[in-house]
Amino acid sequence: MKRNRSGLLLIVAALVLSLSLGHCVMAAAEPIRIGLQAPITGPWAYEGEMARNCVQIVVDEVNKAGGLLGRPVEIVLGDDQGSPKQSALVAQRMVSSKVAAVVGTYGSSVNDAGSVIYERSGLVNIAYGSTAEKLTEQGRKYFFRTCFRDDRQGEFFATFAVDKLKAKRVAIVHDNTTFGKGLAEAARRPLLAQKKAEIVFYDAITPGERDFTAILLNMGKQNPDVVYFTGYYSEAGLIIRQMRTLGIKATFVGGNAAVNDEFVKIAGPNVAQGALMTQEPLPTDLDYPQSKAFLAEYMRRHKEPPSSPWPVYAADAFKAIAAAIQGSGSTDSKAIMNYLRNDLKDYPGITGPISFDAIGDREGAIYLAYEVTTDGRFVPLQ
Amino acid sequence: MRLEFAKPASFIRAHSAWFIGALIVLAAALPLLVSDYWVDVCVFWGINVLLGLSLNIIVGEVGLFNMGHMAFFAIGAYTTAILSERFGVNLWLLIPVSGLAAAGAGYVLTGPIIHLRGDYLLMVTIGLNEMIRISLINNPFALTGGPNGLIVMDQFRIFGHVIQSPADFYYLVWAAIALLLFCLGRLQRSRVGRAWNYVREDPIAAEATGINTRWAKVLAFTLGAGIAGATGTIFAAKMMVISPDSFTFMESVILFCIVILGGMGSIPGVILASGAMLVLPELLRNFAQYRMLLFGLAMVVMMIFRPQGLWPSRRWTTRLKEGDGE
Amino acid sequence: MGGVRTGVASAAESACAGRLPCRVEMAIFLEQLVNGLTVGAVYSLVALGYTMVYGVMRLINFAHGDFFMLGSYLGYTMLVTVLAQSNLPLWAMLCVATLVSVVAIACLGVFVERMAYRPLRKSSRLTAVVSAIGVSIFLQNAAMLIWGARYQAYPPWSVPEVSWTLGGVNVSLMQLLIMGISLVLMVSLYMFVQRTTVGAAIRATAIDHDTARLMGIDVDQIIRIIFVIGPGLGAIAGVLLGLYYRQIHFTVGWSYGLKAFTAAILGGIGNIPGAMVGGMLLGILEMLGAGYISAAWKDVFVFLILILLLIFRPTGILGERVAEKV
Repeated sequence: MKRNRSGLLLIVAALVLSLSLGHCVMAAAEPIRIGLQAPITGPWAYEGEMARNCVQIVVDEVNKAGGLLGRPVEIVLGDDQGSPKQSALVAQRMVSSKVAAVVGTYGSSVNDAGSVIYERSGLVNIAYGSTAEKLTEQGRKYFFRTCFRDDRQGEFFATFAVDKLKAKRVAIVHDNTTFGKGLAEAARRPLLAQKKAEIVFYDAITPGERDFTAILLNMGKQNPDVVYFTGYYSEAGLIIRQMRTLGIKATFVGGNAAVNDEFVKIAGPNVAQGALMTQEPLPTDLDYPQSKAFLAEYMRRHKEPPSSPWPVYAADAFKAIAAAIQGSGSTDSKAIMNYLRNDLKDYPGITGPISFDAIGDREGAIYLAYEVTTDGRFVPLQ
Repeated sequence: MRLEFAKPASFIRAHSAWFIGALIVLAAALPLLVSDYWVDVCVFWGINVLLGLSLNIIVGEVGLFNMGHMAFFAIGAYTTAILSERFGVNLWLLIPVSGLAAAGAGYVLTGPIIHLRGDYLLMVTIGLNEMIRISLINNPFALTGGPNGLIVMDQFRIFGHVIQSPADFYYLVWAAIALLLFCLGRLQRSRVGRAWNYVREDPIAAEATGINTRWAKVLAFTLGAGIAGATGTIFAAKMMVISPDSFTFMESVILFCIVILGGMGSIPGVILASGAMLVLPELLRNFAQYRMLLFGLAMVVMMIFRPQGLWPSRRWTTRLKEGDGE
Repeated sequence: MGGVRTGVASAAESACAGRLPCRVEMAIFLEQLVNGLTVGAVYSLVALGYTMVYGVMRLINFAHGDFFMLGSYLGYTMLVTVLAQSNLPLWAMLCVATLVSVVAIACLGVFVERMAYRPLRKSSRLTAVVSAIGVSIFLQNAAMLIWGARYQAYPPWSVPEVSWTLGGVNVSLMQLLIMGISLVLMVSLYMFVQRTTVGAAIRATAIDHDTARLMGIDVDQIIRIIFVIGPGLGAIAGVLLGLYYRQIHFTVGWSYGLKAFTAAILGGIGNIPGAMVGGMLLGILEMLGAGYISAAWKDVFVFLILILLLIFRPTGILGERVAEKV
């Protein structure tokens, strides 16, 4: 019994110490601090790591050029583990660390939990991978995003499938994540409205599983001519491979989360070849000088290009914040917000010109159809 | 070692009233002393304490393995979100309503499975957790908003003051804990509390002394589920956005660990352990991607050095010494 | 590439859009069955690890899924680094990769048992469960740090892509290999436990540690053997899974671990034939659920069946081999 209580005392002491320690660390502030909220651990750690790499490049660039308003820039990293609860905690931490603005985060439902806190505290928050429509439709003033919304991609797919692919029977498969289901719904709506093609199959797989033959056999029975899979590359690679193994010959179209070199690796080049993807122009296909310079620097540091489109949007989110701080001459979040909303027009970002519309969405979504070549590269479909 | 540390411990015990008083003053003053972030950490700590205490009734007091407690928490949170957004029901009223909804679900769902032993019950509760989570994702009758979840716009109001800031929630949550602690303390010493402990120690003997073990178990499940559901209302108001991602199997596992780590059936143990499980990863933030690695390691180390829990309840310790240590 | 088949493909093409001929329906059903059995065979192999450890130690080894995951990664690393340079024939490469992975994972299993479980053998059994969860979090994050958070894929050349069409049903060499190897391993394990002296010692230890010790059995040694066999089988399952789906990720341990644990419970935990039956049944149930109900609701269906089954057979299909001590 005695030992129990003394152990308790130690723990309490450690807790109090750590709380006060945490407080002290927060206090110091000389450089401009900008938050990066990303999934550094957890199932999306890969995306978080790349976002961190991308942002680091542009931060180094800014610091090399003398910083912002004569002050260096420092990144405050917040790991949300892809969980909404952690996201709320990270958001509060960002608010307490007195950052000027926050880049992030990746997942939509994760972002939602954080951005309510940013909104209440009046802290600018620019998402880089959260594409759910509802995020910008709640009248939030401090929320922006550099990635594009699901509905624009969904509409693009509907037109592309009907006009270019001459699809009559479309199957849509999603993965029950916020993103996958959001995009699937966004693609289904215009298809139903146009009435030019029939949706013959609509169901979800469970992410993290490996065997989708049951659902694919079921889908094959409906004899679709185009299959739209709106989930991630890991499952997309398995699905196209199992589809072909089962002898389903429908054209495979993936959403932009399926665009990743891993897709080709998992499916195998023979199978992946000819698969189509709906996708914003990839960094490798952008003609802007800043995109080329960024890509070269990324290749120099990490030996390979970022393998998914999202992390580059994180770099762009940072660039937009930097431009707003420079342009408004202030690190006050309200000034940054007003600048982003009203004055930032066609700022040359890595993924193209950046301007935000009235609700914080990025203007001018460009989507292309990409095709996987015989040697496993993604090229825009002519 | 033992002697050195024994001194302050006995000192605490001799002046326990002073220490509890000081602790309460310190706790009340905490939001003034630390940043909003740490206050928020304490809010989530508090929510975990409420959940841990509710699970402790099931796992600690009655000895039923439940690794799907988040299911009841989710039912409470979603009841709150749906009733508040669609029908504008007041949040204060929703605390008992969500509690009743979750308790009802607990009663109905566990009724048929309560006779399962140990690990079979564990599996079934995991299954319940997954079934509820997947159902929430699949958006039945367009009620749950699918993977996006639901938004809770309403807020708690007390005499015109809106409970909104981390400090407000801090007081709300810890006041709720104080209330719950008072009730649980009474309950532990009541007829029901004793009956639960008999059932945990020896179900057959308990049955022989006239305790309806089935009733005792279902009651524990219903009560635990109800408290978790009521906590769901506070959680929904705090998060303002709830989605199925918050109620994963992993969260249930962590909750289960909190009860064991605290020392089964021990109320102060639950408070400490939920603090450790939440504050530890926050302290490890500086280790970036190594953080969860160290967290896993810490769990193993904590168990090895304190297998009886951080603050074992007295009754439990005596049993451990006498028992065969299985 | 033996990928392009004729059976189902041509049948599906010739079939009109709406109804399919009865024969094709049958072929599709059989194909679902073959796929279900393949997945089930992997579940069974992993479930054996849970069941053996449980049978002897009454411990749900939550880290077992992660042994399986690490086995998959090690096989991958062997193939792409060392063996890719060698000029061994493919079958020899696969054997070497599997063997290295099995040996390494078995060593890891023994090490984990020594460090994280043995100190807790005299404590409450839930203490060891928490320790196992800690080990699981640790191993998962260690894998993430070693191999990176990205998905890895077994190289295309490592997978023998041969398949046949039997009466309109596709069966691939990998499917036959997985089912065949699993069956052989399970039968030989069963023989080993039932027919050998060591097997008898394992059975004796499972019934009672202290009595076994009185009979002159080195209980520590038996547990070490269990932790060689369980993780070893897991490693084989890991390599097979990697070869079959080609894609591996550090989170696979949790998802497959949960399924395999479900399988073990379904068949009756602690029971070796039970793990086989449970795994196969789970694989088939999943396929039927996804194929004939709805893929999105599949897991709800599977858990529902599990719960119903346990209501009527509270100790799984084949029951527990050893009565649980109360």
